Amino acid sequence: MQQDPKWVFYYDLLCDKIHKVRIFGREPLMEQAVLPLFLFAVCATAVAVAMVRVGSLVGPHKAGRVKEMPYESGMDPIHDARRRFDVRFYLVAIAFLVFDVELLFLYPWAVASRNPQGIDRAVAEQWVASRGLVFFEVLSFVLLLAAGFVYAWRKGVFRWR
Amino acid sequence: MAPLIVPLVKIGLLVFALLTAAAYLVLLERWIAAWVQDRKGPNRVGIPLTSIKLFGLGQPLADGLKFIFKEEYTPAHVDKALYTLAPITILAAALAIFAVIPIGSVLPLDLPGTDGPIKLVVAPGVDVGMIYVFALSSIAVYGVILGGWASNNKYSFLGGLRSSAQLIAYEIPLGLGILGVVISTGSLRLENIIFEQAQSGVWNSFTQPLGLVVFVVASFAEAARLPFDLPECEQELIGGYHTEYSGMRLLLFLIAEFLHMVVAAFLIVILFFGGWHFWGMPVPADDIISWSVAGLRILVLIAKVLAVILFFMLIRWSWPRFRFDQLMNLAWKVMLPLGLVNLMAVAAVVEYQHAREIEDLSTNAWLPVGIGWGVAIVAWIVAALFAPLHTDNRPRLDVLQPPAFEPNSLRSK
Repeated sequence: MQQDPKWVFYYDLLCDKIHKVRIFGREPLMEQAVLPLFLFAVCATAVAVAMVRVGSLVGPHKAGRVKEMPYESGMDPIHDARRRFDVRFYLVAIAFLVFDVELLFLYPWAVASRNPQGIDRAVAEQWVASRGLVFFEVLSFVLLLAAGFVYAWRKGVFRWR
Repeated sequence: MAPLIVPLVKIGLLVFALLTAAAYLVLLERWIAAWVQDRKGPNRVGIPLTSIKLFGLGQPLADGLKFIFKEEYTPAHVDKALYTLAPITILAAALAIFAVIPIGSVLPLDLPGTDGPIKLVVAPGVDVGMIYVFALSSIAVYGVILGGWASNNKYSFLGGLRSSAQLIAYEIPLGLGILGVVISTGSLRLENIIFEQAQSGVWNSFTQPLGLVVFVVASFAEAARLPFDLPECEQELIGGYHTEYSGMRLLLFLIAEFLHMVVAAFLIVILFFGGWHFWGMPVPADDIISWSVAGLRILVLIAKVLAVILFFMLIRWSWPRFRFDQLMNLAWKVMLPLGLVNLMAVAAVVEYQHAREIEDLSTNAWLPVGIGWGVAIVAWIVAALFAPLHTDNRPRLDVLQPPAFEPNSLRSK
């Protein structure tokens, strides 16, 4: 199995050589697990497309000038809908980006916390000094996150009026 | 070809079951609405050409046929490609989430060409199951905002903007709620999360009540159910992002909406209420399971999911809709700090248990349960006292006292 080209590509080249990521266990690729995911995605898309096609084939088609207009409760639309909008939506997007990415950084630690191949193994192999150090690092990371949160709050990023 | 057959059969059954379930959940919702409002719901449609009414069980079929035969009109002012892409995106993503969600545990079937019992999940053994769910539920934002943008209608545009802001804002509490469970389980695989709870008999909702509250509120908002249904509020935005849709494309949006609720119910049950586990049920390993236990697990899981869906529907008919600023305040100023508090409390308990070498939670559950509830109660009191939810309830003076109308100012122009 060591000579499997995919195995060599993913584990030896991508993980070991390029990204310098240490892989525990060296399991074979997850293709048995990943294949159904792709199958399901294809099937779900096919079902959705088929439903739209059936609807457009079966139903009646009658055009009309009033039907062409945007529905705005009977008012004649004044201008195009795509106008400038409130800058606070951008602020929410930026705040989301910050917090969501920081959350993603927490996921590896969360998985490793009780996994026998996680922090415990790292401590046993002396890659880190102790579990307490890891916890302290995560705590300081979350405190930094909280400091940024307080700053954004005081700046009025979350104020909607 | 052989390894494809089992997943394909599972996918076919699951997609059929989900579409049927979405149709019948609409009927259930209308029955519950009728019950709450003390009137008769849909009770007429039964078998056609006879007088058999069957309590209205034919209603979803009639609704589906009506949707198919309705005119599907594409107005001239829309962006045609994106207009069609939006419902397809949202439905495909909503369906594809179910690839990693276990419907029960396993079936003790020994088919030729497969190894071991059939696992009741389309993609068994995906190590990043929770991240996959998270990623695909984020794609729903694309469907909503594409629909709102492509419609080129002011209601749709406002609805799309609002709902994209709402969905991304509530993704953070959602992730924080999941993180607590991941820390105490040590795995992102949904099957492992259930099995961990079943082995100890202590569901995560007992040890992390605060995480449960944060996750339930966030999943209500992600599923756009009342009291968080601002994306499609009928009274204000005439349907929001699907104002301009008709026929099957509208049906796709509506199905996706109900599927989001089903996903949320499954996740709440799996992450916090032990999945297929109930006390007194034997917990054998997957390869020596009997037919009765396997069937019982499916029944228990479905019963729990139905109970959560019932909760969703009752909430719908008992709560008014939030205002948009209250919604945003709840996400950023209440749920995010509560989620962080829960996260650090769970992490501290896990570290303490590890330091004391308490591995078996079934005999030592009092400490995590006590700390979890203590943190939850204290945090809830603090939030109730200081949460800035109602500070913005005072009337807006600029609206109450509009500038005096001066006819001459118009005439002079």
